[in-house]
Amino acid sequence: MKISRLSAWFTIGIVAVFYVVPMLAMTRFAFQRIPVIKLSWGNVFQKWTIQPIIDSFGSPDFQRAASLSITLAIATALTTIALLLPTMTFAHLGSPRTRRFIEISAVLPFVVPAIALVVGFAGAFRDTLPILIRSSFGLVPLYVITALPFTHRTLENGLAALDIRTLVNASRSLGASWWRTIAFVIAPNMRASIATASFLAFTVVLGEFTIASLLLKNTLPLYLSYAQGSNPQGTFGLGIVLVVISTVFVAMSNRFGKKVRS
Amino acid sequence: MAGSSKRRVRHLVFLPYVAFLAIFLGWPGLYVFRSAFARGTAESSPMIEAVTGQFRGSFVFSLQLSFISASIGAVIGALVAIAVVRLDTVGGLRNTVVGYSAVAANMGGIPLAFAFLAAFGMQGLATRLLREINVDIIGWGFRISDFWGIVLVYLYFQIPLMTLVLVPALDGLRRTWAEAAQSLGASSAQYWRLVALPILTPALLGGFLLLVANAFAAYATAFALSSGGSRLVPVQIRFFLQGDTITGKTNLGYALAAWMVIITGVLVTGFQLLMRRAERWRR
Repeated sequence: MKISRLSAWFTIGIVAVFYVVPMLAMTRFAFQRIPVIKLSWGNVFQKWTIQPIIDSFGSPDFQRAASLSITLAIATALTTIALLLPTMTFAHLGSPRTRRFIEISAVLPFVVPAIALVVGFAGAFRDTLPILIRSSFGLVPLYVITALPFTHRTLENGLAALDIRTLVNASRSLGASWWRTIAFVIAPNMRASIATASFLAFTVVLGEFTIASLLLKNTLPLYLSYAQGSNPQGTFGLGIVLVVISTVFVAMSNRFGKKVRS
Repeated sequence: MAGSSKRRVRHLVFLPYVAFLAIFLGWPGLYVFRSAFARGTAESSPMIEAVTGQFRGSFVFSLQLSFISASIGAVIGALVAIAVVRLDTVGGLRNTVVGYSAVAANMGGIPLAFAFLAAFGMQGLATRLLREINVDIIGWGFRISDFWGIVLVYLYFQIPLMTLVLVPALDGLRRTWAEAAQSLGASSAQYWRLVALPILTPALLGGFLLLVANAFAAYATAFALSSGGSRLVPVQIRFFLQGDTITGKTNLGYALAAWMVIITGVLVTGFQLLMRRAERWRR
């Protein structure tokens, strides 16, 4: 490969500027009380304040939205693990065909865009099981589905690195039940993958807008979109917080993911 | 322990997962298609009306947006991937770029819209800085909520997604192939055109399809940028579900959703097949 190092640096430099500038602009807007039109080199460092975001944190609407989002994130992660870990452990004990079936079914959510999923969900359950649409926890199964391609991939990598058959046979022959085997033998060995899958589920839930918005549930992203008008600076500040949190989650899942592979 | 009972237990164990998918993915999906094909009292099938009538423009708009943002994103993302692999000797660079790409590829929704409003909106920081150097993008007619504005915002997650797809593919190009080509007298351009490019083609095409599907399904960012007035297909579907005003026409909303599933289905299947082909060189 004979591309000059200079042009490689140039490409990365331009794209880095493109990645950084919007985040910088959002940060400045959120924390500096000077309109862009009055901004000059003389006052770049003046009037920085965190008051707007503190106001946002104090707002009861924000607190409700944040606690809903956090609850949903935890519920989604727990449901995902409870559903996938036993299923995938057994798939690893079974034939390659079962594994293949689970693998293909896990990427199906990619095919159904969130908007189509939520429209079908609302239509299918409006008359049969309206509680799923009224209750905020009705979002959990949809989030489990949305996150499935990512969470399945992560757990699959983790399971592939273990000798499941030996672990299960050892545990079973010592008299442990299936439930005990999965909870106390498989799960502890899968700590890193379970953590990674949970972080990915958190990221999906904290960023998801389409489904919550169509089912009229006031999660954090919905709060951001509505509160923009009343306290734009604080709301943009919350936007930054959300970006930072999901950056940390993705970074952690990258890190744990690497540990699994090595 | 009888073998057959053991097997039965194992099959039962898959029941929760299969039932979960059937109830929360399969049934909603079926419901969309069933309603989309239900003619009701209307003259023509909703599936046909969805792509011929007033919504044709929405599909054209959504697809144009997806293809253009995917094309630009694929080219730039590929260049970044090549640059990263080229600069592999620089410590930490690869991890930084690939790591941030993973973050940015997952970025979207409301915070991303905020960031671009703050940067490239009418009163944006970047808009202002560009004006300082006599580049007046607002004067040129650029608006962040317009077509090209949305393309710019989408590039924020399209470029890194392509980088993520392509870096492993580039790693699969063995040094020995470049050396073999060189020792046989090939120029660098010839090596790229005749050796590297054909090997990379499935990954490039697959990545492109993934980017198209990615943009096509996106909703929140565009919605937040233009406060619901956008012509995107997903935003149109929203109006159908929320407003019962156009009675007897709700099936049209399902037909729009069904077409979205069909289009992303084709794109994602194409991506999967091409990526499997790309894997062949990585053994």
